Amino acid sequence: MSTRNVLLQVARRGGSLLSLLKKLWGHPKGRLGLILVSLLVLVAVLAPVLAPYDPYDVTQRAEKGLRPSLEHPLGTTITTGQDILSMLIYGARVSLMIGIITGVILAFLGALMGVIAGYVGGFADNLIMRVVDILLVIPTLPLIIVLTNLLGRSYFVIVLVFVAFGWTGLARVIRSLVLVLKNSNYVKAAELAGASRWYIMTKHILPGTSHLIIMNTTLTCAGIMVAEAGLSFLGLGDPTAISWGKMLAEAQGGGALLFGAWWWILAPGAGIFLAVFSFMRIGIVMEEIFNPRMKASSSIYKIFKHLNNTYLDEVFQSMEDEEPDDSAEEPFSNAPAPEGGHD
Amino acid sequence: MTASGDSRNPDRLLEMENVSVNFPVKRAYPFSRKRWIQAVTDVSLGISQGETFGIVGESGCGKSTLANAMIGMVRPTAGRVRFQGEDLYTLKPKAFKAARQNMQMIFQDPYSSLNPRFTVYDIIREPLYIRGGVSETTMKDKVLELLRLVGLDEEDLYRHPSDFSGGQRQRIGIARAIILNPRFLVCDESVSGLDVSVHAQIMNLLMEIQQDLNLTYVFISHNLAVVKNVCQNMLVMYLGKVMEAGDSDTVFANPLHPYTKALLSAILDVDVSETRERILLQGDTPSPIDPPDGCRFWQRCPFAMQGCETIPAELVEIEAGHQVACHLISGFTQEQMDRGLHQPVSPQSGD
Amino acid sequence: MTSAMLEVRNLKVAFPCPGGIIRAVEGIDLATKKGECVALVGESGCGKSVTALSIMRLLRTPPSVSRVDKLELAGRDLTHRTEREMERIRGKDMAMIFQDAMTALNPVMTVGKQIDEVYRRHTNLGKKEARERTVRALELVGVPEARSRADSFPHELSGGMRQRVLIALAFACIPKLIIADEPTTSLDVTIQAQVLDVLRTMQREHGVSALLITHDLSVVANMADTVYVMYSGKIVERAAMQDLFTDPLHPYTQGLLASVPRLSDDKQAFVQIPDTVPHPMRKPTGCYFHPRCSRTSGRCEEHMPRLEALENGRQVRCWHPLREERET
Repeated sequence: MSTRNVLLQVARRGGSLLSLLKKLWGHPKGRLGLILVSLLVLVAVLAPVLAPYDPYDVTQRAEKGLRPSLEHPLGTTITTGQDILSMLIYGARVSLMIGIITGVILAFLGALMGVIAGYVGGFADNLIMRVVDILLVIPTLPLIIVLTNLLGRSYFVIVLVFVAFGWTGLARVIRSLVLVLKNSNYVKAAELAGASRWYIMTKHILPGTSHLIIMNTTLTCAGIMVAEAGLSFLGLGDPTAISWGKMLAEAQGGGALLFGAWWWILAPGAGIFLAVFSFMRIGIVMEEIFNPRMKASSSIYKIFKHLNNTYLDEVFQSMEDEEPDDSAEEPFSNAPAPEGGHD
Repeated sequence: MTASGDSRNPDRLLEMENVSVNFPVKRAYPFSRKRWIQAVTDVSLGISQGETFGIVGESGCGKSTLANAMIGMVRPTAGRVRFQGEDLYTLKPKAFKAARQNMQMIFQDPYSSLNPRFTVYDIIREPLYIRGGVSETTMKDKVLELLRLVGLDEEDLYRHPSDFSGGQRQRIGIARAIILNPRFLVCDESVSGLDVSVHAQIMNLLMEIQQDLNLTYVFISHNLAVVKNVCQNMLVMYLGKVMEAGDSDTVFANPLHPYTKALLSAILDVDVSETRERILLQGDTPSPIDPPDGCRFWQRCPFAMQGCETIPAELVEIEAGHQVACHLISGFTQEQMDRGLHQPVSPQSGD
Repeated sequence: MTSAMLEVRNLKVAFPCPGGIIRAVEGIDLATKKGECVALVGESGCGKSVTALSIMRLLRTPPSVSRVDKLELAGRDLTHRTEREMERIRGKDMAMIFQDAMTALNPVMTVGKQIDEVYRRHTNLGKKEARERTVRALELVGVPEARSRADSFPHELSGGMRQRVLIALAFACIPKLIIADEPTTSLDVTIQAQVLDVLRTMQREHGVSALLITHDLSVVANMADTVYVMYSGKIVERAAMQDLFTDPLHPYTQGLLASVPRLSDDKQAFVQIPDTVPHPMRKPTGCYFHPRCSRTSGRCEEHMPRLEALENGRQVRCWHPLREERET
């Protein structure tokens, strides 16, 4: 493939990503989701800059159990005296990183397995599907606890288990789609022209699944963030890192409810909620965008809101037959139709 | 016995000798008896260069499977397929690929036969792109030429299929099918899903292209009126077997097989002036899994006889260019009649 | 006109959408007498299915907006009914037979149960009596071994059988009007003939009025008493069935009839109408058919012809109908 062709391909694929972003922006709910996600990512990336204190720095601890004030907008923790706002900001890093990294790895793995199972079929299909069946049966939580005991508490273990077990859902869905795509007539036409299996997989099957993969991935990220929060709450994550789940565990253990330090509970909870909400929002909007039948509902409601009664009246009026002219024009001209009409 | 003439004739573009295609039915549980769908059973035919060959039948008769076997998409369980004199399925992969590039197919459903994400340009040039060896500019020129040929505009080049109507999509499909200059084109119910006025346009387009490019068509349809108009030779299939075959003028002038007659009478004609004799069949098409031993039509045949259930009917040449597989026409042997096998059976209803 | 069953006057339906407004139905009149079978013929996109849905009041606003001057079934107005009242009317007085039986039937209920439900909803029959009626209904439409077949699920039946079940469902309460939208289009030719036979017999025997919606002229020729031809949202011709087929007045009707392939044709090019139906959002000025018509004149380009009433109940919407030559 010439360089020009490669660039064209990238541009075309990148172009579709750009158009996807544009469509998301155009959708009111999508815009909200995009803004929130961007904000979260910014917060996570710029954490050192944004956070007033470094919660990891022991020297920056303040008095324990302070109520929200100007210096500490969200107060400090009862147990260690860390600034809660800074912890909130740094917590975003953990949640987003784990969510996005795991989500992306799962997207690759799940799609790969799904496409192989669906397109290659036969033995590979059977093998992969039986593996999926087995993986679905194994309970992940006890497994994480066991592994944590073996390998020590770290996010690596959590991500490992998520990745090892989480690809099954996407793989199944992609496999079903691939089975349908495989039998499309346009694939048959390509096969007739002598296309190799690789060509069909990359040119027809994979692009056909891209929508599903992207949509599924955003929703998966949301799910993983919640799961991670839960696991951190249980104390299975990295004990040195600051994550929202861990903050909740500390808050509970440190007696936030007892002392009425509701801001300590609210902050990480709001963080988790916002992160998951924004990703899900994007995922749902994408489904609307990709599925033309669902798209109708939101835009049609918008149109109807702005519909003007006079406009409708005009439209309906224009459908009426014209009143007969009082001039001598008869309904049918007695002369035969003129020659040279349209053909 | 082959339809339309003898086999191994060098003028023949495509020949099929006693082709059967069976598919295994997925077993309910591992050790149950293996069952087979006999999609196509013992079909022989010969198609000459430049002709239009018709295959008529309803759903489940095996016509699509037969067409797929013709173009190398489905390997026959028995029998041979010869394209340009060579046995198609014994060719080496390279020669097989080259042979198949001489064949193409136009599909029934205009909505699923084009990749919705591709542009019209991508779709039409795809076969050429796959074959390779042609520059981008040559491809573009060829595509534009074909667009004009099928009646579309240059500005349609970068549009997506969703912008087009059913008839227009079929035109795109036709352009894609002829870009490699195939010699052989299978039209699998290519106009069945279209509106009547578009139907006529597409048929005329297909006929024009056939003339201009000297193509050979296999025209699969359940619409006998269209088949009568465009096909020189034809065969009528039911549940995988050929019921009647031959020169289409001869067959239509004198349809003999009860199924053919039922098909003809079932065509609700638009001529309100004459009322035709109606042969209404009873029951539905039975399943092609493990079909009956004898004539496969016997259960619905209004003229079935005792012997039809167990004794298979062979294709017999009744007149020049006309073969029929029916006991009613070819009769039973004296020995069989002695057993009373020629007694009529009251036709059953239902499957 | 006491024998009038269905009366529709000036029905208009439009669909606002991002690019503009789709004029699906532009002021049509329909009338069906008791026991009469009326066909509404047109190609895809002409608005006939939308008409059927409007008559049954199944179109929601949004996405559609509609106006109608008169919509009456057996003299009773339908436009001012609540949804609950319409539900009672649908199934009892008015029934619809859809094209695709698989989507019209509940896949998780046996067909017998679905027909039972219709009986129990609209009459006071108990379970047993309803089942008796169901079996009888299935026998009437030609389902073999009706009693055991009633316990099958829709996917266990063939296409032809499913259509028969739909017909049985529709006729269960002997409605006043049946609306059949492409009832046999998806079926094989021989099955189509059988099902149409059943439909016609049921319709004639029970004296039920029918509105048959189809693009297939041969179905019309075998079932209809009166035919309306629809093009791009407007009725362009109305005539008794024999008159329409032997003596069409509108050029579109003539073109349509000519393009149906017939066994009696010689081997020649198929008669085609040039170009395609207009896009519902970009309709031509004047008469919608004029860009494809061989008889068009300047007048056709500027003014939409009115629907003129002629003798014998015929109507035609054309400045130059085919009668002209015969008169000169």
